[in-house]
Amino acid sequence: MQKKILLILVAVMLFGFMKTFAQNDLSTQAIVLDSLLTKDANAIVRSEEIIIEINSVTSVTVKTKRTVTVLNKYGNGYADSYESYSPSLKIKRLEATVYDALGKEIKKYKKKDFQDRSVYDGISLMNDDRMKYINYTPTSYPYTLSFESEVESSSSAFIRPWWPMLAYRLSVEKSTYKIVNPSAIPIRIKETNFEGYPIEAKKANQEVSYAITSVPSKLPELYSPSYAEMVPIARIALSNFSLEGVEGSATDWKSFGKWQYEKLLSGRDQLPAGTIVEISKLIAGAATNKEKAKLIYEYVQNKTRYISVQLGIGGWMPFLASDVDRLGYGDCKALTNYTKALLDSQNIPSYYTVVFAKERRDIDADFASMQGNHVILNIPNENEDIWLECTSQTTPFNFIGDFTDNRNVLVIKPEGGEIKRTKKYEPEENTLITKATVNLMPDKSMIASVERIAEGLEYDWNYRVQFKTPKDQKIHYKEKWSYINNLEVNDIKLNDNKDDIRFTENIKVSCNTYTKKAGNRLLVTPNLFSCDQSNLPKYSDRNTSLVIPRGYVNVDEYVISIPKGYTLGNLPEKKSIETIFGSYTRELEKIDDSHIKFKRSLKIIDGTFPKEKYEEYRLFRNKIKKTDKSKIVLKQQ
Amino acid sequence: MRTINKLITGILLLCATMTMAQEYKFGKVSKEELSEVSYPLDSSANAAVLYENKRVRISFNESVGFQLVTDVFKRVKLYNKEGFDYASDEIYLYKSGSNDETVSGLKGVTYNLSDDKIVETKLKKDGIFKSEFSENYNQVKFTMPTLQEGSVIEYKYKITSPFIYNIDKINLQYDIPIKKLEAKVETPEYYNFKKFTTGYLSVNLKETSYGDKITITSKTRSGVGGRGSVQTSYSKNSIDHIVNVNTILSNNVPAFKEEPYSGNINNYISSISYELSFVKFPNEPIDYRSTTWEDVVKTIYKNSKFGDELKKTNYYKEDIDNLISGVSDAVKKTALIYDFVKKKMNWNKKRSVITRKGVKKAYKEETGNAAEINLMLASMLEYAGVDTNPVLVSTSDRIIALFPTLDGFNYVISRVKFPDGKIIYLDATDKYGMPNILPDRVIRGAARVLNENGTSQRINLRPIKPSANRYSLQCEIDPEGSVKGIFNVQHLGYSAHDFRIANAAKDDESKAERFRKRYAINELDEYTAKGIKEYGKGVTERFNFACEDQIEVIEDEMFFSPLLFLKDEENVFKSNERQYPVDFGYGFSNMYMINIKIPEGYEVAEFPKPGAFKLPDNLGVFSYRSTVVNGMVQIVVNETINAPIITSDYYGALKEFYNQLIEKENEQVVLKKI
Repeated sequence: MQKKILLILVAVMLFGFMKTFAQNDLSTQAIVLDSLLTKDANAIVRSEEIIIEINSVTSVTVKTKRTVTVLNKYGNGYADSYESYSPSLKIKRLEATVYDALGKEIKKYKKKDFQDRSVYDGISLMNDDRMKYINYTPTSYPYTLSFESEVESSSSAFIRPWWPMLAYRLSVEKSTYKIVNPSAIPIRIKETNFEGYPIEAKKANQEVSYAITSVPSKLPELYSPSYAEMVPIARIALSNFSLEGVEGSATDWKSFGKWQYEKLLSGRDQLPAGTIVEISKLIAGAATNKEKAKLIYEYVQNKTRYISVQLGIGGWMPFLASDVDRLGYGDCKALTNYTKALLDSQNIPSYYTVVFAKERRDIDADFASMQGNHVILNIPNENEDIWLECTSQTTPFNFIGDFTDNRNVLVIKPEGGEIKRTKKYEPEENTLITKATVNLMPDKSMIASVERIAEGLEYDWNYRVQFKTPKDQKIHYKEKWSYINNLEVNDIKLNDNKDDIRFTENIKVSCNTYTKKAGNRLLVTPNLFSCDQSNLPKYSDRNTSLVIPRGYVNVDEYVISIPKGYTLGNLPEKKSIETIFGSYTRELEKIDDSHIKFKRSLKIIDGTFPKEKYEEYRLFRNKIKKTDKSKIVLKQQ
Repeated sequence: MRTINKLITGILLLCATMTMAQEYKFGKVSKEELSEVSYPLDSSANAAVLYENKRVRISFNESVGFQLVTDVFKRVKLYNKEGFDYASDEIYLYKSGSNDETVSGLKGVTYNLSDDKIVETKLKKDGIFKSEFSENYNQVKFTMPTLQEGSVIEYKYKITSPFIYNIDKINLQYDIPIKKLEAKVETPEYYNFKKFTTGYLSVNLKETSYGDKITITSKTRSGVGGRGSVQTSYSKNSIDHIVNVNTILSNNVPAFKEEPYSGNINNYISSISYELSFVKFPNEPIDYRSTTWEDVVKTIYKNSKFGDELKKTNYYKEDIDNLISGVSDAVKKTALIYDFVKKKMNWNKKRSVITRKGVKKAYKEETGNAAEINLMLASMLEYAGVDTNPVLVSTSDRIIALFPTLDGFNYVISRVKFPDGKIIYLDATDKYGMPNILPDRVIRGAARVLNENGTSQRINLRPIKPSANRYSLQCEIDPEGSVKGIFNVQHLGYSAHDFRIANAAKDDESKAERFRKRYAINELDEYTAKGIKEYGKGVTERFNFACEDQIEVIEDEMFFSPLLFLKDEENVFKSNERQYPVDFGYGFSNMYMINIKIPEGYEVAEFPKPGAFKLPDNLGVFSYRSTVVNGMVQIVVNETINAPIITSDYYGALKEFYNQLIEKENEQVVLKKI
């Protein structure tokens, strides 16, 4: 009975409330929410409307109306309530309103109520981006925030894309997007991952609109493709555009690259005569272009350092080579352009190359537009491509590591742009060979000398330890082998062979309590230096493909001398596992009564595998982990 | 003979000091400095400050009055590429209203050695960047040109500030070594500053003074106006006064190295700060800012955004009257009011001793800073007849103020004294807080309770008792070596508080995920968490688990640590020595009770013996009890750290404590097939 009354009450309340708001907009209440949208969500985009007006190449207006219901404290960040600005991007209108769960307005922000600060990008010494934002302190959850803005950009080289599903744990009730194009400048469109989503699209007369409704939130999963590769995005580019006052037109990479070359790069490569003389002397003894390029690269590494300054068109156009020569610093663009200028002075052709660095992402081969976040240098040399990372003072010549490996990049030549792929480091190239001599003592202690030789990407993953202080180097190894309690690092010798790209570590360690005693048994873990420490979660319902971004080969071989007074029992049999992701073997061999040999090899193959394969990979790693930490028993005589 | 020796040593020392007393002048960089390849006292240094001179003075300028002028000159040696980071610097310039600080005379030079010749490159405009950093700060950044390994850079600049009360903290130590540092602070007698230092290094400070004159030209106009002529006459007045000088001279300051679990490192970096204590001009009454704690209390109560805010009652009167009507017990009234404020008010993450928008507006909007929320709470309690005092807090991100100072505090909470003498502390900004369960930012800070009669006492808000986590495992092993069972943990006191802060708003799936990660358990189900909303009580979590990799089967024996996945495996204290205390926040006690059923057909061959050990001075204790009864292995372990902070003298003992603890917890049970 009571329940029934309650229900009626709720209904009455709701009715009243609907009546009040029906003429308005239901999207500001958060009493009745679709469970499809609340599942696994921290916030819901109730409605989003973006209208982009292309008035001319130097005027693009973006009008945004966005209403987000925040369900819990982790969702606060999704109620995007900021707009950035710069000398070329002006905020014309800005407003935000907060509603409580019932949809009642509780706070309103006008443009003047927004706070203002510079945007620190995390790298730059200086840039000219700023933002206006609000800092709302929620009084209860759920609440709803409506945000409206209008910005006008004098740059049209970037058009805000339609990216309705912006993040994990965010669902979308409705999102619309519209390009209004009174200028009739031809537009190009690239739609990705539209399949399987309820998207309505309309295209006509160089205009386009999209709408999507009721998309549940996604949860992140480990070893999955990047988020942007899984959600629908529509990217727009104009055939005639302006970038910080520099106008251009392009429809494919060839013409786009040509524009970049002519308007942003060419003529910025003058060098002082003295420097050219110095370089000519420097390379006088070198026979091949590759040798010359190596000397020039090392010259740049010694002379310059990375300092990022992004102001106006300087965000896209490199400093003059002569400025880098004089100042000894610059950002990726400046240092690449400078290296190129030095190579040019010796008639070695090289090309400024735009790339997405860090997380692997391709420059979209069939959609020419402003892309990339980094610049490297390409030297075509006989049958190979040499790639130079000009911002690092420490990486070896022609070694780009996992920062820019294996991805499509835009190589800018005077005659136009060209898509190329950077070097892929195959599993067999990325080797870590560990050799050790281990002495076990009757008192549970252990002394060992270890040698590790790293090449390929393993070089990249290991060589930075040399830049740490001696104290931190010791801690580095204690952390690497953290499963050995009480480990002492007694001696460290490091050798960085940049010519062969090989990093060698010779380390002496000891531990007073390595083996465990149990009655007359001594328990020994023979894998001292390569215990797999991965921890892959189990997903009852995996939704995304398995991505192993890079392969490698690790080989270990140790000679272990067993303590006096103990005898070896039976050694475990050789263990081998073969899978499509790679292979693993572990073998223990008796050399003589007091010595055993431990051998291990692990090969991981990179690739993208169907989601069903994830569980198989997890079990593979679990078996490795279990075998790696397994013990052998020595018996007291 | 001995005297001769002494004499020689004396001469040697004299020579040594003479050569050591190198003069540092801008532009006079020596070849020796340029060719030095590593810092002699610390070869691991990537860069070193060869010389720094900082002169801070309050000087009189006739057109604007007193000004704070700071001159900085720095010479830095860059030994290698890793040291190049020290070739960029930034200056923050405060602004407020129409007043702002300005920088002038910024000059910089990079020196390199080329073919045994010194080559100079000047810092030019293209290396200097100015920007508006925030509402209250402008920023000037610069980066030096043409660096090489071995470069020496120099730069100098002057900051002129109208904010004479704010002498910036002077750092006497950096994360690179300093060869020589001279700092001078000159203040006219009218402004009396108090100074306090941080860090473990001794500060060599000399106090002197000298006489100075201020010359004021005054203009007097005389005449009748109208058609009459106006005469202007100038007269010069000169005022004699004393300038107090603090000179700090440091040589060979070691680099500051950060250590994990230190709490706020700014308490350990050597520095000196100045705070205005009173202003006294001739023929004017003395204006106290803070010299004694009494002054601090007086000043803060005098501040309309503190004292007056405490007195306001109208805005809540009706609500509180209703809330406590018919309740006479002080404890009950306190509970009701605290709960009311905690539920109603939402902290905007701003720390402050004074209100910003005011308690009234904060109450209406249901949001506020720490002062608004906790002064409101104190006021309501006082209104309800409960004996309440505000407590000033310097939160954990601040330097702990040891001397009477107002600047040192940035937060406020409340203390309640019940008729029976019992005392509790309350902070209503923390939704998960409880009486005497305060946020981490508060317990790790420093606090002082204020009384309206002007007295105050320093108090320690660190919990006295360790907070417990009680773990239990009930499980059984099958003949294949898999183990499955039930996990239970109860978090109490501050542990429960930490749990609520980190997890209360998460769904159960995410809560369970923590254990999957921490213990690498894949088979985990029926997770439940209880008591999350019952503040003041513990939180209990439980789940069922199964693991395959805890037990190792070798031939006819099984080996395992009876703590299974609960055992500690990694000592977080990796460094062999330590200079600064270890700050745990609060004492804690992890208790483990484990029952493992032995599989059919097996018997216990070996199991770890009971054992116990302690940290000195009862700072911590570890005990391990083990028995085998009725086919069960039973283990009871207690890991307790009693003290929230352990000083560096005990670091060796603490590291060894954890080493032994890990050894003990990794001891093996051996089961043998019958």
